[in-house]
Amino acid sequence: MSLRRHLTVTTCVAIAGLIASDRVVIAQEAAPHDWLNRMASAVQSTNYEGTVIRLQNGKVEALKVAHAVSDGVVREKVIIQEGNGLEIIRHGNEVHCILPDKQSVLVEEWDDQSTLFSTLPSSDVRFGSEYDVSVVREERVAGRKAVLLAIRPHDGYRYGHRIWLDIETGFPLQTKLIGDDGEAIEQIKFADITFDQEILASALASSINTDNFRWFTQPRRSIVAAVDSRWSNDNLPAGFRLVSNTEEELPDRDMPVTHILFSDGLANVSVFIEPADLIDISRRSRVGSSHSYSIETGGFQVTAVGEVPAATVEQIASSMQYK
Amino acid sequence: MNDAIKMQISAFVDGELPQNEAELLLRRLCQDRDLRQQAAEYLAMGRVMRGERTVAGMSMLRERISAVLDDKSLQVEFEAVKADRPRYLRPIAGIAIAATVAIAALLGLQRMSDMPDVDPLSASETVAVTAEGSYTVPEQDDDQLRDYFLRHSATSAYFGVNSINARLVTLQLREDVVVDTESAALQPDENGDKPDSTDAAEAQTP
Repeated sequence: MSLRRHLTVTTCVAIAGLIASDRVVIAQEAAPHDWLNRMASAVQSTNYEGTVIRLQNGKVEALKVAHAVSDGVVREKVIIQEGNGLEIIRHGNEVHCILPDKQSVLVEEWDDQSTLFSTLPSSDVRFGSEYDVSVVREERVAGRKAVLLAIRPHDGYRYGHRIWLDIETGFPLQTKLIGDDGEAIEQIKFADITFDQEILASALASSINTDNFRWFTQPRRSIVAAVDSRWSNDNLPAGFRLVSNTEEELPDRDMPVTHILFSDGLANVSVFIEPADLIDISRRSRVGSSHSYSIETGGFQVTAVGEVPAATVEQIASSMQYK
Repeated sequence: MNDAIKMQISAFVDGELPQNEAELLLRRLCQDRDLRQQAAEYLAMGRVMRGERTVAGMSMLRERISAVLDDKSLQVEFEAVKADRPRYLRPIAGIAIAATVAIAALLGLQRMSDMPDVDPLSASETVAVTAEGSYTVPEQDDDQLRDYFLRHSATSAYFGVNSINARLVTLQLREDVVVDTESAALQPDENGDKPDSTDAAEAQTP
């Protein structure tokens, strides 16, 4: 190799190194909430295909996912690679849940705009002051450079989050839900991902022939009314506040159920209230990382449910008061 | 058709009904055409909810009734109506296919998926469902709790927070993952493995 060529190669390597180090600095110097805003934008507008690894309760599950947005219409496809091969197809608000082993398709409408990876709200106003958000470091996820954000709660009434955002796009390549003991409760991680301008229609269509399947649809969700409930709570965990208060119809109920939603901007807890003689449920339970706690008070069964630690639902349910 | 008859029919097709009760049941079915129709619908709905293509013991029930009555028309009666119904989006009254992708129906299907395997389908064994038929998922102590989890998930989605995890948890929500923690402490996982520690890794960061 000639001296000139050697110098050229060395110079290129040095320039590339400088660019790379600049990106690291830029990635780590950007405000955490700027990254969250980038993430919110990316999950809404980015087209992608990939393989997701999901870990929960010691179980590992692989999912094939594809997501595209065209003219504001979201199309998504998720295939669970293990078990019954459940396939979820979303086109706009209509969602088909295909159960190959049951020869059935379940249909429902999702009237929300959240997408598969709408993990967090973007606005720091909604976020509240119960969490610290920081940029931790840069790592590689799915072969791409990512910046790790940590969202740490100030107390044990809510979970923490770790989010690895793709430096180029802001897309969340990996997320972890962290318990108050610092352990990961569950996590989602892309094993591979491609960001494409255009996702083929075939990648978003069902891969299962449903000609002979039975189709089921659900009755529409029925909210009787937003109400000014006579229930209140003066002892909520710090940061939680009332978000909504409705009376809703649930299956097999003659009377509407009072449903009150509290949120700290990140974690949500629902409180359901019914006459005590109509229901009989476990006092404490959990599903995944969600917990519930039920208590009888004044002839009513008060049940708090949310993706929060057990202590949170217990305190909220126990401190509900009838005015 | 009352619950006692339903239980007897279920026990019969499972081969668990005592001989004397089985004879009484058969006599009633032979004498009551409406009851036979209701029994066929009841068994058919159970089959649908289990995702089965036929009902274990169904052919035996039909054959024994046919033998008593010597009536081949029963074949038609138990095949009932099937392919002449529109296939698209049939709402089934009473099925709690509630928020977040008909989870309740999914649960209903999965709850019953542990039933024993059935014989391969033959055309003559097909039991059909009337479009007017309704089915109520059997009462379970956890039904209300499940409704709460599902409604909470749907409401969280409405307010803009609904991760893929939350969706998948509700999609795959099964009776067996509703863990009563009243008497037992939370277990990290069923394999005894501890999840990895993120904070430990972060501690390496300056």
